Amino acid sequence: MAHKKSMAGLGLGLVAALALSGCSGEASDGSVTLQMVESLTNPARTEVLDELIGQFEEENPGITVELVSPPTDQADQKIQQMLQAGEGIDVVEVRDITVGPFSTNGWLADMSAELEDWDGWANLTENAAKYATNAEGKTYYVPYGFYGLSLFYRTDLIEEAGFDAPPASWEELLEQASAIQDPSKNQFGYAFRGGTNANSNVVVAIEAYVADQIDPDNAFKLENGDTIFSAPEAADALETYFELFEKASPPSSVAWGYPEMVEGFSNGSTAFLLQDPEVIATVEQSAALKADQWTTAPLLTGPTGKAIQPMATAGWGTAESSEHKAEAAKLIAFLSEGEASTTFTEKNSLVPILKDAAESDFSKTGAWASYVTMNENPDTYITAVQPRDSSWWTEWIQKSDAEVQQVLIGQMTQQELLESWDAYWVDKWKNN
Amino acid sequence: MINTETNPARVIRVVVLALWLVITVFPLYWITITSLKEPGAIFSYPLTYWPEAISLENYVGLFEKAQFGTYLGNSLLVATVAASVATLISMLSAYVLARFEFRSKGALMMAFLVTQMIPAFIALGPLYLLMTQLKLVDNKFGLILIYIAVCIPFCTVMLRGFFANVPDALEEAAMIDGCSRIGALFRVIVPVMKPGIVAAFIFNFVNCWNELFLSVTLMNRDQNKTIPTALNGFITSYNIDWGSMSAAAVLTIIPTMVLFAFASRYIVQGLTAGAVKG
Amino acid sequence: MTRTPIDTVGRPSSRAGAPAERPSAQAGAPRAGGRKRAFTTRKGFAILGFLAPAMLFVSVFIYYPMISGSQMAFRNWNLTNLTDTSWVGFKNFEAIFANPVFYTVLGNTLLWVLGSIIPQLVIGFAIALWLRRKFRFRGVYQALIFFPWAISGFLIGILFRWMFNSEFGVVNDLLAKAGLIDSPIPWLAEPGSAMTAVIIANIWYGVTFFAIMILAALQSVPDDLFEAAALDGAGKVRTLFQITIPYIRTTLALTILLRVIWIFNFPDIIWAMTGGGPANQTHIVTTWMINTTQRGDYGQASAIGLIVVGILLVFSAFYLMAIREKKDA
Repeated sequence: MAHKKSMAGLGLGLVAALALSGCSGEASDGSVTLQMVESLTNPARTEVLDELIGQFEEENPGITVELVSPPTDQADQKIQQMLQAGEGIDVVEVRDITVGPFSTNGWLADMSAELEDWDGWANLTENAAKYATNAEGKTYYVPYGFYGLSLFYRTDLIEEAGFDAPPASWEELLEQASAIQDPSKNQFGYAFRGGTNANSNVVVAIEAYVADQIDPDNAFKLENGDTIFSAPEAADALETYFELFEKASPPSSVAWGYPEMVEGFSNGSTAFLLQDPEVIATVEQSAALKADQWTTAPLLTGPTGKAIQPMATAGWGTAESSEHKAEAAKLIAFLSEGEASTTFTEKNSLVPILKDAAESDFSKTGAWASYVTMNENPDTYITAVQPRDSSWWTEWIQKSDAEVQQVLIGQMTQQELLESWDAYWVDKWKNN
Repeated sequence: MINTETNPARVIRVVVLALWLVITVFPLYWITITSLKEPGAIFSYPLTYWPEAISLENYVGLFEKAQFGTYLGNSLLVATVAASVATLISMLSAYVLARFEFRSKGALMMAFLVTQMIPAFIALGPLYLLMTQLKLVDNKFGLILIYIAVCIPFCTVMLRGFFANVPDALEEAAMIDGCSRIGALFRVIVPVMKPGIVAAFIFNFVNCWNELFLSVTLMNRDQNKTIPTALNGFITSYNIDWGSMSAAAVLTIIPTMVLFAFASRYIVQGLTAGAVKG
Repeated sequence: MTRTPIDTVGRPSSRAGAPAERPSAQAGAPRAGGRKRAFTTRKGFAILGFLAPAMLFVSVFIYYPMISGSQMAFRNWNLTNLTDTSWVGFKNFEAIFANPVFYTVLGNTLLWVLGSIIPQLVIGFAIALWLRRKFRFRGVYQALIFFPWAISGFLIGILFRWMFNSEFGVVNDLLAKAGLIDSPIPWLAEPGSAMTAVIIANIWYGVTFFAIMILAALQSVPDDLFEAAALDGAGKVRTLFQITIPYIRTTLALTILLRVIWIFNFPDIIWAMTGGGPANQTHIVTTWMINTTQRGDYGQASAIGLIVVGILLVFSAFYLMAIREKKDA
């Protein structure tokens, strides 16, 4: 019978333990613990954040910050669960593509009251300030930096192929990449994006071809109100773009997403890569490429001679359920000004949010030079806002990605693709 | 077994078995040598099938940068406790299902089977809310509770099969000798069924050891993370850290391999023990 | 105690739950005499007491969240806007059935299940048959070939995605070295080869389970049966089909059922290797469901989950009926 009792005891014990084991971050001595959750996690970045948090804690003895770093694959889903549960999350990494849904659901706090007297506003770049306050004057997040495209290229390979300058336009890229391509030596021209987010570069190409007519407030719209996909120039853009795949890219790139593309460039097998500045840090660590073998060039232009820079961003926001909104705002202010912000953008190769950082030497040298060129020529490299905050943005990504792959494997024509995309956005704009 | 094997048959057998061994082991070999290459040498072309210079840099990095030791400890703790408790609880329910006839038995078995059919994600949101209410988010004990629940259904039906093959007579004799039913279970049946129980434990252990989704959702701080979370962390948005990941993978596989090496005899025996003993 | 073949191999039937109860009830028949005790309160308490912990755990941590989560399937539950989560009846199901991708995905799932399970079964069977013989290092061999079972599906996916990489992957390198291909195959870039690649990974992973289960069942086949067959002059093949397979039929049938359920519900490898691409051509129902959750539509994703359960329940019922009739015949 002793056994029987112990079994019953086990069950009871489990239930009791359920009830007893509490674990909340609250302390009774008035000190505050902030839970901060990041989304675009990577180990190097987490290290930088930890350092910055350490400095913040030193300056603010009453506040402890616990950084939660889920694997980036699962991060947004986890953040959703936490926000929905309304507990255990104070500061959260908000992305331009999540701010819409998160704020609609009432998960994000408007920080404008807490940040009203913040003197950091004055030093934010025009773009940063624009993203920090939405159309209704609410501050759901303060961007920590910007992602923008530039063309990574191999200086040695284009020289060998007989070119004296990197391509400036999509047409020139096609020419140079085709010349370099030699599959028998595992040497490819362009790190084509056919996998996750394949749509993004297709759109960038189309935008370059219709840059003259684009609506700067909605980069998917022409000034006449039609979608960019309905313009005849869009068909020319696709022709060049998909020819790039046929003639100058690895066949497997149908399945290439971010990691494969970056790997393809940093392991030396492909000569061109269109990517965000954060990749600079990755390529710098590459063992296959020496510093003098590569650099970046400005974004590719279309026949218009212009290009549209798609601005992507992310930043820090406060959860509506947080009981420590003032402290959370304090942390966000700390991360968005001075040394902390500069460190973060430099270590992660982001386009800075601070005016004085944008003027520093760091952002003007080496692979960064192309960004300066782009900043200095805003009429050529036009900043236009993609509708990334639409609630259907993820749906759009999935749909358009699948259709790009359909074109690549011959299940859909380029014309059908454009018609489908045009119809999709016309419908969304009409009904929302 | 009588020896009627002809020479050609023998050749086929040896060749197929050897081939399958190579196919099975090759990925393990590949991931091991990848982990031993210097970080820069992983993408060298043409491929090298033997690292030119063996480097432990990837392994050192795991423990220096990524608190891998903590994750390893957490996984060991969570998987061992959850697998043990789940096996124990399953033994009780399996025993009842094997020994008694009662009206709702079929429905109960069906209920266990259905848990295998449901995609886990459906339950994820409500489970997170439940754990929040119980204050068990970011808590190893909470994760253990869930793992126990996840292991029980399959483990129960697996053990039920073993118990069904142990003759009633064994425990009846014990009960006549004055043992309680539970006494008979533990003193008579468990020793006989040891191999099956070991097999069930291993199955539970491997499942908990490898579980990613629930662990990512429920664990926050580094001090509570398990190995699969750490492994997944090497895939960042712009890179897969192949060196660190292969090293972590090798370290992840080793404990289960060791477990298998010791217990592979038990696994095969365990599944057949009933028949043998019968 | 004499045992019928069904008796010894009836065990895995337990895994198939209620509909499979009959074979094992049959199996229990020889000793039913000893078991038919009068129902007593004491016995009732024993049953309840023994089952309580398992029932407590499964209902609190599996059934409660599962049922609570299932209601999303009948509501407008989209993470992009949770301000209106009203009941919508079967609207989510209608949307799924109206989506042409769903049928592609169903076809892929069928291919994935059949393409994985048949080779797994054949190779697993062969290995089990041969492992029945004692040979030197059999223990070591077993431990080594069992090891894929110890790795997570996610990790297998990542590993195979790397090995099937067209430019740097070891698969193409080996094929080229063996002179089988002239130019690298872009494995994950074309629908056919991508499906082949994910299935190969799954076969690699799943053979172990069959090998173990079948080996276990084979060890219950009495040696004298084979000896008798040999004396009758039955050939290898005839022995296999007339003695071995019928003897372990129940184990086989139910192992297959369990594997079908698991493989159907196993997104890990595909998710890590192709993410369902190219152009949805390797999506199976469960990876497609993950895709749906990613765009925030938990209503539809839940509905897909319930469709999965429905399909598997119907399949299990028919399958069990079919094998039952065969046995009765």
